[in-house]
Amino acid sequence: MKPAPFSFVAPESLDEVVQALAEHGDDAQILAGGQSLVPLMNLRLARPEVVVSINRCHELDYIRLVDDRLVVGALVRQIDAETSPLVQAECPLLAKALPHVGLPATRNRGTVCGSLAHCDPLAELPAVALALDAELVLTSAAGERRVPADDFFLTEMTTCIEPGEVVAAVALARQDPSERSALHEVSNGGHAFPVGGVALRWATVDGVCTMARIAAFGVGSVAQRLGDAEKALVGSDLGPEAIAAAVAAARAEVNPTGDIHADADYRRHLVGVLLERGLLEGEAP
Amino acid sequence: MNDEVRVTVTVNGRRREARVEPRRLLVDFLRHDLGLTGTHIGCEQGVCGACTVLLDGRTARSCLHFAVAVDGSDIRTVEDLASLDELHPIQEMFHRKHALQCGFCTPGFLLTTVELLERTAEPDEGAIREALMNNVCRCTGYANIVDAVAEAAVELRRRKPA
Amino acid sequence: MSSDTQGAVGQSVLRREDEYLLRGQGRFVDDLPTPLNTLHLAFVLSPYAHARISEIDASEALALDGVVDVLTGADLAAMVKPIAAQIELPGYSFNTRDVLAADEVRFAGEAVAVVVAESQYLAEDGAELVQVDYEPLPVVTDIAEATDPAAPQVNPTVPGNVYFEGRFATEGVAAGFEAAAHVIAEDFNSNRVTAVPIEPRGCLAVPEQPANLVFYSSTQIHHLLRTALAEFLDVAESTLRVVVPDVGGGFGIKAALYPEEFVCAALALRLRRPVKWIQDRYGALLTDVHARDNHYRVEAAIDDDGIVLALRAEIRTNGGAYSALPFGCTLETTGGARMIVGPYRITEYEYTATAVATHTAPVLAYRGVAQPVCFMAIEGIMDRIARRLGLDPAEVRLRNMVPTAELPWTNIVGVRYDTGSFVESLELAMEMAGYDEFRASQAQGRLVDGKYRGIGICSFTEVSGTGAPGWRARGLTRLPGFDSGTVKVEPTGKVTAFVSHAHSGQGHFTTFAQVVADALGAQLEDVTVVEGDTAAGPYGTNTFASRSAVTGGGALIRASEKARLKLARIAAFMLESTPEDIVVSDGRMHVAGVPSRALSFQEVAETAYAMNTSDLPEGESFGVEETDFYDPPLVTMANATHIAQVAVDAADGTVDIEGYVVVHDCGRVINPMIVDGQVMGGVAQGIGEALMEEFVYDPDGGVRTATLMDYLLPSSVDVPNYQIAHIESPSIDTVGGFKGVGEGGLIGAVAALVNAVADALSDLGVNVNTKPLRPALLSRLIREAGG
Repeated sequence: MKPAPFSFVAPESLDEVVQALAEHGDDAQILAGGQSLVPLMNLRLARPEVVVSINRCHELDYIRLVDDRLVVGALVRQIDAETSPLVQAECPLLAKALPHVGLPATRNRGTVCGSLAHCDPLAELPAVALALDAELVLTSAAGERRVPADDFFLTEMTTCIEPGEVVAAVALARQDPSERSALHEVSNGGHAFPVGGVALRWATVDGVCTMARIAAFGVGSVAQRLGDAEKALVGSDLGPEAIAAAVAAARAEVNPTGDIHADADYRRHLVGVLLERGLLEGEAP
Repeated sequence: MNDEVRVTVTVNGRRREARVEPRRLLVDFLRHDLGLTGTHIGCEQGVCGACTVLLDGRTARSCLHFAVAVDGSDIRTVEDLASLDELHPIQEMFHRKHALQCGFCTPGFLLTTVELLERTAEPDEGAIREALMNNVCRCTGYANIVDAVAEAAVELRRRKPA
Repeated sequence: MSSDTQGAVGQSVLRREDEYLLRGQGRFVDDLPTPLNTLHLAFVLSPYAHARISEIDASEALALDGVVDVLTGADLAAMVKPIAAQIELPGYSFNTRDVLAADEVRFAGEAVAVVVAESQYLAEDGAELVQVDYEPLPVVTDIAEATDPAAPQVNPTVPGNVYFEGRFATEGVAAGFEAAAHVIAEDFNSNRVTAVPIEPRGCLAVPEQPANLVFYSSTQIHHLLRTALAEFLDVAESTLRVVVPDVGGGFGIKAALYPEEFVCAALALRLRRPVKWIQDRYGALLTDVHARDNHYRVEAAIDDDGIVLALRAEIRTNGGAYSALPFGCTLETTGGARMIVGPYRITEYEYTATAVATHTAPVLAYRGVAQPVCFMAIEGIMDRIARRLGLDPAEVRLRNMVPTAELPWTNIVGVRYDTGSFVESLELAMEMAGYDEFRASQAQGRLVDGKYRGIGICSFTEVSGTGAPGWRARGLTRLPGFDSGTVKVEPTGKVTAFVSHAHSGQGHFTTFAQVVADALGAQLEDVTVVEGDTAAGPYGTNTFASRSAVTGGGALIRASEKARLKLARIAAFMLESTPEDIVVSDGRMHVAGVPSRALSFQEVAETAYAMNTSDLPEGESFGVEETDFYDPPLVTMANATHIAQVAVDAADGTVDIEGYVVVHDCGRVINPMIVDGQVMGGVAQGIGEALMEEFVYDPDGGVRTATLMDYLLPSSVDVPNYQIAHIESPSIDTVGGFKGVGEGGLIGAVAALVNAVADALSDLGVNVNTKPLRPALLSRLIREAGG
């Protein structure tokens, strides 16, 4: 199927992008990698009047350290983040997650920020953003605001991005070199979206867990931070009893739905399986 | 909205210019405006990979790009792999290993293999299978494609001057 | 006179079709050059599974610049007769389909209007603007609910939603069950799937002399399509030419005749312009024929040794909303009923086989047809016998199989197994799989390192090369069975072979050349194969159901032999010898024992074409161009054994295939490399069917799997490395000794995988009798069993 007609602009700076958004309001749609948007446009399930491509805004193509955060610009392709030494050193959880995202060809074009803005409940990166205490940098003609990931993802395909705003970057917490992290997921086949997954990172001092961030995806309408499971781990020795408690907490705090790919009970069960797998198998960065 | 806009791209080393609607998919531009029908359309949903081309050196779904949005890019399609007299070593190994049947998906697999072997000269079987997830083949059951890619890697290493 | 050329058949000759496909020079239907004035079609598809069409308003679409016309069911009814499959079975409810639904839609995706426009983009713009008012009506999609008296009537001429009910019973079935030491009974459920060739369907109709219409289609059945176009468009068949370009996979779904083809042809004739239609994936999933939505209830009466004394099968197949052309909605029904007895000595058998109508896409052929399901059933019964009696599943099979020494064997429904290797293929597969060692390792328990490990067998017969009697036995009296070959030795001595098949990736240009080279005595490189064109070569039944090696190979051998005889007669005259003394070899002919008295094909052909000064023998006609037809026996039966080893993750329910063995017997092998390719591709599709693929309708008939994100296909990481071996038991009933090989890979994989998973979980006592076996299902079974 072919997309419906639209007008196309490709500004060369972030300023021009926000001007175009201000001009067209609700009718405008940002095009970054397009790997989630264009399938919907081909099916005519998305039909923007104006497509605003950011692919010429080279100023948004950066990965850099700013204080305690690793900032990934809106034009950074997933493959470039995956292979970035900076990402591998500072946010190994993101580097581990990216090979699971889409397929090689879609990672070549798809962007990290685009996946966050798309907010697919089955996507890995929103969960990674939650686990990495991310802040989304939203820019509009009125200026810039920073939104914590916890407040950014609202529900299926819905974020707090207002008309006129563009995700200019995502700022991720730098992982301490002593941290461990993991991402595990299960799907019904190589090409399939996951039916459930867990992203997590944690730290220990003298055998005691001092920090845990756990987020699940594919088990509800939006990626979800698993605070009760985190609490069950922090202060524990991460032994079998603590893991069992975290698994039970994780299963209790998710509210999955069933669909043609998996039933809700399985997804609830799976969250625990994958959390345990992550805690036992997560390698030191 | 239907106003055509100018697109200039380099395709298989040749500069090509055309006026197209903004919504024209890159795959339709290549196939129907430039006559490069080796790139195929299998789903337009980004899954099957029959439309795979190299966009600025990397595999891309040409069904998931608008021609206008890749203005200025360098594009390589299956038609660019062989010389008049000789198949590319990857194509040759696909032939020798019976890695194609209907051949519809094959151009996409070839370009995926070009990218893989440029990134990884000595991929193991697992790396080959991961890379080939880019594409769906419904005929071969993949095993001969995996073999062909492994053999092509050997051949390309052999040809590369030390 | 004899041919000394032996050697092309049996060799893994590399394919001649590869180079142009690899260069991106394949010519699939959407790759064909189209005249600039070509019109493009987009169909308006119903989102409802069952609704009355109260009004269609096309005014907005017609107002769009570039939209040429919008036609509805009433418009097309004036141009195309209602299409219908002809099935002559007692009790079959004849039904017809309008190529565009006129009053009522009966499945989600049925077309209600067609937009004709100057480009595909514009046609789709127009289709979006066609306003259709539907009055939704009650829906039934489920095979069991279809025959509930309260179910809505799907089709006015199909009372009670029963298309057909067939019954068969031998006299001793009841006695067999009375004498039984045990009765093993099970229900088996199968997922609805569809083939998903990577090239969607398409056609291009070009009004062109000397035919009135050249019709390019991605079809597997060009002759049958031409006859049907003539019949339903009411035009002279001789004015139509159907050409099959390269086809990007067919797998049976392109062996159906579809409404879009009739609409495209009718509009080209009406508008006097080329008309093109290229399907998109959304439309493909909704409107290509589906398969396997079946339910089997099987009961086996067995004695204490596990010998089957009698078998009962109650088979229900979902035929969808219409009986599709050309095979009709009973294809899976009669197929499963006739094939389930497989390689086993079943001497008492009873079946009831019912095809029901529902508000779903029509069901027709997909690789394997009924066999993946009927062997899932009978092979599942064999495993259950083993579990009940504490025997090994392989041993139960060996006890029940027809041994090679007893072949030819005619099975209980009258199908003859002329040759085969049921026992030998199982034994070799067990050896290759390390079966005994695997069983020994299971003695310590099937759960090791968090994974349940199991092994599964499917030993089966594979229907191929069906002749006219075989189709008639299934009520398909308008399906011929034969195919044709024409072998033409050109004036230069090169050979053109025409065959009534159409390829979709099988390698015909290579394999048929191998067959002709040997049968004619020509050099392989001198033989060129032409097919897929109703203007090139005589009629045939075309390419589906593992036919081409048997029927095309047989016809080409016969035609080659005629041509070789003619060459020998002319050569004998030129060499002052007798035809009986002429030896034909490698494109040359010589007098037996005197190799120096020799002529090339070219020298003989020049005489035949009067292009030299030699005379033809008295009474000999000009040219060397010979045709013959070949109708194989009732059914040509191949056989195979698949053994799969799997590991089921105890925690998440995922399945890893850790080993996969196939031993296949398709009689005389033309090209081992290509045969292996057919097997491997089929196994991958079987993996998809067993583990992941499923086409899903909502209870209200809406489609839940309209993209490849939701209808899942196996990828490179989902399939194992395959170990394949061949046993060759040449057919004694077919010309050439060939048997088919197109479908076995898929057929065997389904039951082998289902049985392997069932075996892995057998210590838990869970019942695995359905597919696909996705992680969620397996995990639930494991959890419920306390595993």
